[in-house]
Amino acid sequence: MTKLFTAASALTLCVATAAFSSDAPSKADVLNTYADIAEAKYDDSLISAKALQAAVNALIAEPSDATLNAARAAWVAARVPYQQTEVYRFGNAIVDDWEGKVNAWPLDEGLIDYVDAAYGGATDENEFAVLNVIANPSFELSGETIDASKITPELLGETLHEADGIEANVATGYHAIEFLLWGQDMNGHNAGAGNRPWTDYAQGDDCTGGNCDRRAEYLSAATELLISDLEWMTAQWKEGGAARAALTENEAAGVSAILTGMGSLSYGEQAGERMRLGLMLNDPEEEHDCFSDNTHNSHYYDGLGIQNVYLGEYVRIDGTPVSGASLSDLVIAADPALDVEMKAKLSNTMQALGRLKSTAEAGFAYDQMLESGNVGGEALIMGGVNGLVDQTKTIERIVALLELDQIDFEGSDSLDNPDAVFH
Amino acid sequence: MRTLATLVLLSLPVTAHAQDRGPILAEITEAHILPRFANLSESADSLASTAQADCLPGSSDLRAAYGAAFDSWVSASHLRFGPTETGDRAFALAFWPDTKGFTPKTLSRMIADADASVGDAEAFSQVSIAGRGFFALERMLYDPDFADQGQAAYRCALIQAIAADIARNADAINADWQGYAALIMHPGDGSPYRSGDEAMQEHYRALTTGLEFTADTRLGRPLGTFDRPRPNRAEARRSERSLRHVELSLAALKDLALRLSADHPEIASRLSQAFDAAANRAHALDDPTFAGAATPQSRLRIEALQQSINDIRSIVSTELGPTLGISAGFNSLDGD
Repeated sequence: MTKLFTAASALTLCVATAAFSSDAPSKADVLNTYADIAEAKYDDSLISAKALQAAVNALIAEPSDATLNAARAAWVAARVPYQQTEVYRFGNAIVDDWEGKVNAWPLDEGLIDYVDAAYGGATDENEFAVLNVIANPSFELSGETIDASKITPELLGETLHEADGIEANVATGYHAIEFLLWGQDMNGHNAGAGNRPWTDYAQGDDCTGGNCDRRAEYLSAATELLISDLEWMTAQWKEGGAARAALTENEAAGVSAILTGMGSLSYGEQAGERMRLGLMLNDPEEEHDCFSDNTHNSHYYDGLGIQNVYLGEYVRIDGTPVSGASLSDLVIAADPALDVEMKAKLSNTMQALGRLKSTAEAGFAYDQMLESGNVGGEALIMGGVNGLVDQTKTIERIVALLELDQIDFEGSDSLDNPDAVFH
Repeated sequence: MRTLATLVLLSLPVTAHAQDRGPILAEITEAHILPRFANLSESADSLASTAQADCLPGSSDLRAAYGAAFDSWVSASHLRFGPTETGDRAFALAFWPDTKGFTPKTLSRMIADADASVGDAEAFSQVSIAGRGFFALERMLYDPDFADQGQAAYRCALIQAIAADIARNADAINADWQGYAALIMHPGDGSPYRSGDEAMQEHYRALTTGLEFTADTRLGRPLGTFDRPRPNRAEARRSERSLRHVELSLAALKDLALRLSADHPEIASRLSQAFDAAANRAHALDDPTFAGAATPQSRLRIEALQQSINDIRSIVSTELGPTLGISAGFNSLDGD
């Protein structure tokens, strides 16, 4: 159930909340808001993925610079709501189990299409790193001959994705589509994104890069799959959906799930894996949206998703607000000073990520920031990292305050079943 | 690797709040942490001076010094907070797992370009973490692919630069711990830890994260799946140190676990037995690089070792943590 407020009723609610600020909202109401926001974010992701599909269809029907650029713009827009859903991932098993299909990264893009010679060949880790399914209608995979004469959503989702059990074999989702729209970024530490020519989709003699018909087929299949995956996830958060049911099964565990999602994304995933590691490796490929050079936005909207889940306020892509009883309200009732601390830290992080975003938009690309010895770039990225690390500390304090620390919220799956982590 | 999945609500006894953490915090800091970083600093200095005197990859002195310094790092590597996290020191000491082959790529590029940073410690400290630390040095000392790349003189300079950089980081961590020790022993104003509980949580997290890393990464990576074992992913397999790292980490984590459980002899005794069971399985394995992950019979024994570490994790999370009134919080392994 999505709550829609007019400006006037939202104002009334604020006044009412302020008047009774010492009363804790019920956990059930907090969970309800959290689930409503999830539903709205996934629905927004779906709506913008459908706009992407329309743009992709136009590109395939009439390949040109204009239709390619329109498809790229639609992809960038589609990332805005999706990145804000990432805060749901680590707290909700149903999201985490599904997420790899739509947002897996990093990828060995040579699996999908042609790559530059400098990319190298098969590696110790992945013998399919340069499979190039677009150029190969038939190939061997784990001792089996695969018929890829038609590139279908089933081929991508069921055979090619995570082929040979290797996570870098990403055949589906946003980043596969990103690669098909931009191509490899060959600019190293210089400004500039991937520069795939529109003629990679031209049919007949104008075709560049070979197999333009199969490339179009791949792009179309991957986009179709993205939509069906987002449709599925949106349904899970509707009234009666499995994600909403799992969340509300046990209220304390549900509130713990909110904090787990916030903390795991802040610390291990975003501050560590996505930001600091890339900086320490000084590798321009170690940026999250490396083909499109959209990494600054990817980080920014991840951070925004964490903040709006805590505040219980999300603004939909059509401007409609979704809000209600929040985790912040729960904390206010127990320890108002800790709520102030949390809000200040979330806002510090957003300021740091905003600085990263505005500087990138002004022309200082994320891959330039990653270059060894680039002091300004390092400071920008570390500003975001430090903000995220610092806010994690306060998230832990909230876990202790709300006495949720008796809930084993981390990694229990691997304890119950040692093999589970390799799925 | 997706680590998080289910949420389990444990039914637990009411925990003792407001416990006096002082004695345990002092004990862990003075007897567990400080000696480990002193050892690391000393053995890393010795590695650097040995490399200065003899930089041949096959040199037995150099390899022995490398082994001793790496041993002290693995025995301290679960203590990832405070001084190890300043300036990427711990990352630069040991970048692994290297899922995209950054270390060989970085080294090959440096050798091919005869990168001048090897002659300048400050410049070398700006090199990618993939080209520094124990895993980069392992490639240079043990990987035949690096035995004849570029000029011998450059390879020598590179080995010396990596060893000196290891020593620089180890010394800096040890020096910073001399001041940080007071901060974690005396939480409150001026300390990053607001309360004794927060300082205890840091040590408890070191224990849980260390166990998780050893079970899921050190053992889990080479095990892969039954259908697709990945023995080539074993940690430090080129120097045949994979199993040794599991044994060293278990010994270090046992020491920490027993200090954390000092006030609860019943739990301490169960932990001690569980650690001994795991150590015995490791000792009996006789498979230094986990090459046996690929054959069903020997694979079973590696899985049994992994299970025995998961048994320890279970005692830690269901008995030790709740009794201490501490949760693990978030760690760097959360996420993918």
